[in-house]
Amino acid sequence: MMMDNDETKFDQWLQDAAKTYNAPPRPAPRDEMWAQIQAERALSARRVAVRRAWARWGLAAAAVLLVGIGIGRWTALQQGSNGGTTVGIVDTTGRALVYQLAATQYLSRTETFLTGFRADLRTGRVDAFPGQARDLLATTRLLLDSPAADDPRMQALLEDLELVLVQISQMEAGRDRRNADLITQDMDQRNVLPKLRSAIPAGPVPVRTQGAT
Amino acid sequence: MDERDLINRVRAGDGSAERALYDAHVDRVYRLAYRLAGDEALAQDFTQETFIRAFEKLDTFRGDSALSTWLHTITTTVVLNGLRKVKRFHRREADLEAADGVVGGRRESEPDLKVRLREAIDALPQGYRTVFVMHDIEGFTHEEIGVALGVETGTSKAQLSRARAKLRESLADFRGEWIA
Repeated sequence: MMMDNDETKFDQWLQDAAKTYNAPPRPAPRDEMWAQIQAERALSARRVAVRRAWARWGLAAAAVLLVGIGIGRWTALQQGSNGGTTVGIVDTTGRALVYQLAATQYLSRTETFLTGFRADLRTGRVDAFPGQARDLLATTRLLLDSPAADDPRMQALLEDLELVLVQISQMEAGRDRRNADLITQDMDQRNVLPKLRSAIPAGPVPVRTQGAT
Repeated sequence: MDERDLINRVRAGDGSAERALYDAHVDRVYRLAYRLAGDEALAQDFTQETFIRAFEKLDTFRGDSALSTWLHTITTTVVLNGLRKVKRFHRREADLEAADGVVGGRRESEPDLKVRLREAIDALPQGYRTVFVMHDIEGFTHEEIGVALGVETGTSKAQLSRARAKLRESLADFRGEWIA
């Protein structure tokens, strides 16, 4: 009975005494938090839009590459059946153009991606990058196996990009700052961005991606 | 305005309704986040995260419970997950400091009741502390706590009872205070 009385008194005392436990020192900063909420939601909406655009582009790039591969196979068949001279030359030019187009699109996207990666690294917002790097990595490997990589300079550039993209794709979302710094150092040492920019043709027609000598 | 109308307007994309819904609930959410986190910056982060998730998931709110209860469920999930991450981070930092030989000096025992009470509450197991803070400090009912934490009402009551018993033990030195 004595014990129960003690407990009741303690509970009452505790409820009063504990009011000071982690009591907010000032009212909730409503406007400050609201502004932050709005900013985060806008950013999130932008990320979703970017992800959708990437998915669309990935499909388009894959389609272009598949068309290239199809033309290549058809050309080989034609060369085989015709003893292959004139038709082969014309179709090879068409095939090269398809690969050049795919390579140019890929290089432009990769350049935008890596530039964005470096910029967003400073703000610490790199969560979306591993996923995008994986998409680009798939295209990189397709291109490495395609005639686009016949040119040694293009092949070297694609291999450098493959290495960088593998590293980014393996980053742990949101908490891999040190790795990210190492990736950018690696990019700088290999001169990846300048090489990439110089490989992208200035005009709409892809003329330098195959490294015409 | 009726809460149901407000929710419908938010679902329809009305920005002013979003702000009205936020204004109606933010103080309680912030206070709960602060009580559990004990840090202003963390409390702000957790409050923001709560509302971001709430607006994202408002379409899934079926109205089985009050909107405030639903919001407090999100708040406790956000806060408890967030605190686990913070704890892991601090543990890593402490390990690094220990490895460097930089170990913070142990504080002298503090006779002040407020400090001892704070230490005793902080030392409670996470589940006990959460129920204690929600019930004894913030005035939530056991039913509300049960919904927010996803536990039975009886579990909430049992955890509160154990929390108080542990605190009584930890604060035995101050027995004179409550007996008086």
